[in-house]
Amino acid sequence: MNKTLIVAIETYLRQVKSWSFIMLVLSPFILLAISLGIGYTSATSSSDQQRIAVISEQPALRKEFIKANKDDVKASVTTNAAAQKSVDNNKLTGYLVLSADKNKVTGVYHSSDSIGTGMKTRVNVFLAQTQQQLNLANAKLSSKQMKSLAVQPAFKEKIKANHGGANLAKIISFWVLVFMIYMILITYSSVTAQEIASEKGTKVMEIIFSSTKASKYFVGKILGVFGVILTQIVVYIVGGYGFFQIAMHLDNIKSLIADNQSLVDGIIKNMLGINLLFVFLGVIIYTIISAFSGALVAKAEDAPKAAQPAIYLSMIAFFLTMPFQSNSDALIAKVLSYVPFFSSYFMPMRIINDNASGMEIGISLVILIASILLLTWYIGQIYEGLILQTDDTSFWKRLRRGLAYQK
Amino acid sequence: MLTINHLHKQFGSVTALSDVSFDVPDNQITGLIGQNGSGKSTTFHSILNFLRYGGEIRWNGQPIKEADFDSIGYLPEERSLMPKLTIEQQIVYLARLKSKPAKEIRPQIDGWLKKFAVKGKKTDKIKDLSKGNQQKVQLIVTLIHHPKLIILDEPFSGLDPVNADLLKQAILEARDQGAAIIFSSHDMANVEAVCDRLVMLRTGDVVLNGTIREVRDQFGKSEIYVTTDWTAEQLEQLPHVIKVQNIRGKRFLLRLDDPEKGPEVFDQLTDGKYIEEFSQQPPTLDEIFRMKAGISHE
Repeated sequence: MNKTLIVAIETYLRQVKSWSFIMLVLSPFILLAISLGIGYTSATSSSDQQRIAVISEQPALRKEFIKANKDDVKASVTTNAAAQKSVDNNKLTGYLVLSADKNKVTGVYHSSDSIGTGMKTRVNVFLAQTQQQLNLANAKLSSKQMKSLAVQPAFKEKIKANHGGANLAKIISFWVLVFMIYMILITYSSVTAQEIASEKGTKVMEIIFSSTKASKYFVGKILGVFGVILTQIVVYIVGGYGFFQIAMHLDNIKSLIADNQSLVDGIIKNMLGINLLFVFLGVIIYTIISAFSGALVAKAEDAPKAAQPAIYLSMIAFFLTMPFQSNSDALIAKVLSYVPFFSSYFMPMRIINDNASGMEIGISLVILIASILLLTWYIGQIYEGLILQTDDTSFWKRLRRGLAYQK
Repeated sequence: MLTINHLHKQFGSVTALSDVSFDVPDNQITGLIGQNGSGKSTTFHSILNFLRYGGEIRWNGQPIKEADFDSIGYLPEERSLMPKLTIEQQIVYLARLKSKPAKEIRPQIDGWLKKFAVKGKKTDKIKDLSKGNQQKVQLIVTLIHHPKLIILDEPFSGLDPVNADLLKQAILEARDQGAAIIFSSHDMANVEAVCDRLVMLRTGDVVLNGTIREVRDQFGKSEIYVTTDWTAEQLEQLPHVIKVQNIRGKRFLLRLDDPEKGPEVFDQLTDGKYIEEFSQQPPTLDEIFRMKAGISHE
């Protein structure tokens, strides 16, 4: 097997099998599961108290009501006495006694509190429909008359495109995206710098460099870290989709999403596609810089310090995007959307705000990919010199010497 | 065969190697000796291409290329492995970087652990092993892919005599399988015990180069070990004896100004009578090392 691939797989497996990675990936899902679980438990535990019993001497009538309102009725209670007892014990909110003779349908609600608005509406709708059926039957109408009585009035809703919703989608997408890049960067800058620096501390690198070229090793290392980042993104997308599906089974979340469907669609559209590519490439270029910084430390304990240049650069880019969030066609924003390290924040912002053409996006992508390749090639060339130098001089001296190293 | 010609290396204003030339033939063990800072590690780093250098280093007549890395086994001076890996993961990973498939290496691991008497299971993490056992695992890593060129930087440092013997055995086995081996050491007894050839560096220059016998013979048989009833003062009166050293009890070491005069000393000392010991020898490697190293301080 190709040695670059061997290094990449080893790096990848070591990272994904570590507890820190497993916790990093699982923690959002654990939090989501806990909050969904709490929501579900509180919903189910209180549901009995909010339900009613339905009592009727006409089983068909009772059955029809239960069929139409099965979530609101505790069907196991069938007698007046049992229903009254449950209400007294606070196990039911009340009970409805239904009866019907030849001309009239009657419903009597028994409770210590007045009936809730929602329940009252549902009971009234049911009684009105049943009475209607009874009236039609009593009127002995022909089928033609029945048909003409069944005609309903027409009501249509015509709503103009909602600009407010689209703007909200843009704002939410922007914040989610920049925070996502920022959080992933902070995490992986430290992970990468630590990974590289920890090897510099040990002299196992001399053994490795007697087995493969430093540039191949460096590329393998970076590929391994990319694999880890990609795994995290994929787990988040798949897991997020899974949770979305589960959440859609919960009535209140389902109605919340249905009420804001265009907003949700807008955010998902902004998050996926080309923007995700910019996020991924942005994380890659920052990871390379972190690896470079990691290689410059004198000992493993300095690794958190080594990640700082990448983290500071990322912070500058992150905070620079803020003033341009609602002004993304400003000249500075346009320029920065082509500059590597900044373009991963600025170009997605322009894309979300619909002021970047396909050509502009393409040019920015090409510059970013070319920078990644050039940087990888250059660091690969000087990597051996950086890793094998172990003298405890100042950071800047080591940086200067590292940059001057050419074999 | 590894050939080094006119190797030169400068670190800023410091000359680490000035004009180093020697061969490391196949099927032989070459000891590289010298004081700290004499250029041994720099020579190894040059062979391994970790440094830019002047001169020429060739392996079987060709410059060392990436493809040759798989034939090299290297043990660095400071011991280090990846602490979070298990013994098996560590050995397999580094062997795979030498282009040895995992399925070929895995079945061999138990045998190697037994051979080096490593205390621990192959599923134990490196960080849980004692320093000595980590060192043994590192030696296994250096040798398990059956390299043709073996470079060992201070392999005996930190090893007790029992483990040093295990290592000597492994080095001799690798030599008998045809490998060209070069190792550095400060322990002249180990060098004398396993080396076929010897190269000594002093501040970046080669001051000794040849087989052990050739090197020792360069200095002539200028030493005589005797066991006698004579006193040190009496021995000092003998012709051509320039120094007398009492080793223990009646045993003395006499140093001659001219090795050719040994028979004359013998005649005078024995006077035709029995003597328990009279052995004329060249200086030991340890003495040669001290002699050669000492010159730099003069």
